[in-house]
Amino acid sequence: MRMVNFRLSYNARRVAFALAVILVLSFLLLPTQLQTVFQAVGSPFGWIISWPLQAVAGIHDRIAGVWDHYVALQGVEEDNRQLRRELDLLKEQNGQLRESAAATERLATLLEFKQQALPTLIAAQVIGRDTGNWYKTIILNKGTSDGLQSDQGVVTPAGVVGRIVKTTSSTSVVLLLTDPNNAIAGLIQRTRDEGIVGGTTHGTAQLKYIPLLSDARPGDRVVTSGLVGGFPRGLSIGTITRIDKEDEALFQSAELVPEVDPNHVEEVLVILPTSFPTEGERLKAPKIKR
Amino acid sequence: MKTLIYIALIAGIVSIESVLLPHVSLWQVKPDLGFVAVCLIGLFGGELEGLLVGLALGWAMSLFSAQDVLSAAIMKGCIGFIAGLAGRQVAYLTPPLLVVGLFTVSCLLGLMTPVILRLSAQQNVWWALWSVVLPQAALDALIGGAVYWLISRYLSLDQWVSEYRI
Repeated sequence: MRMVNFRLSYNARRVAFALAVILVLSFLLLPTQLQTVFQAVGSPFGWIISWPLQAVAGIHDRIAGVWDHYVALQGVEEDNRQLRRELDLLKEQNGQLRESAAATERLATLLEFKQQALPTLIAAQVIGRDTGNWYKTIILNKGTSDGLQSDQGVVTPAGVVGRIVKTTSSTSVVLLLTDPNNAIAGLIQRTRDEGIVGGTTHGTAQLKYIPLLSDARPGDRVVTSGLVGGFPRGLSIGTITRIDKEDEALFQSAELVPEVDPNHVEEVLVILPTSFPTEGERLKAPKIKR
Repeated sequence: MKTLIYIALIAGIVSIESVLLPHVSLWQVKPDLGFVAVCLIGLFGGELEGLLVGLALGWAMSLFSAQDVLSAAIMKGCIGFIAGLAGRQVAYLTPPLLVVGLFTVSCLLGLMTPVILRLSAQQNVWWALWSVVLPQAALDALIGGAVYWLISRYLSLDQWVSEYRI
């Protein structure tokens, strides 16, 4: 194949070089706050692109549905899915009951509990995954027009999925729990030790900054601590499989297997930010007995 | 007309990249169709076209990724611009040469990415090289070579380039 040497018109070349210089300078000099401006301007653009995206996702889902229901194992797949849903619900109920029992035991003698309000949840469907290879994210089919915003927590009945990091008017990007750039406040349910849950490059999760004196062990369940926004207290995150304790380290860390397999999530629930009480609101001042 | 084609191309690439490509990933790494498209557009359309399409495509892809808008748009824009410059200097371009070129540029960009995106401490250069950069570069190069081979087989590239290149 022969490529011919073409002369670029002087004006076009000048425009190209000027744009390139502006780009490099803006990359070096523009403040991070301008990201939100670019994001806002890009929202209508994202809305336009979300139509073909959802169309492709719809076709993909139909093909996958036909394959799952008629080709692969026919009825067994549906039964399996139903049983998994029930198992997820039971796990969630079990986790919440354990959490309630632990909280009641600790605080019943000190405080009169205000009934904990269930958070308001918005259901959304997963329509895609990250367009690159550097982040582990999923794309939801709902965005700012449905009330979704950055930093809102995303869960399934089984447990935590991740946190919204970006929205357009009709789509949202959720950074998964298993992404190394994520950080969610976690709590070991048995020992009540707190830490930060983040992802690993191996696709699992880890609980960091566990106090050295903690007797956490494999098999312990980790739930959200509710200290940082996005998630109420007590949602399942994962189960500890290994404790890492290095010499002269100030903290321990633990490897977790997440409750939710992020590679097979199809529908999720988004937690609205003001729908659950904060720790301060939930724990009223104790009444003085006379 | 050209603008509409590019908008359709961008919408198509974003949709395929996020919905279909995860199913054909190699060690959970998928090819970057946007990178391949911008390289080919820069190569045949010139610096300005490569730059502008790269900017738009990077921006669109960042809307459906955790990557920030500026770095995504600028990286893709720069790739298109560099591809345009390279295309002007190459006298003979064969599919094997393009494959080697795409592999090399994809590797270089991939090695710079953890630094540019300020990823977590776990995602260091060695991890990036073995886990993401090499598989992605191999896939990018293969897909780019195949697309170029198909285009050059069915289209008269010399004539197309001489008529449409800015």
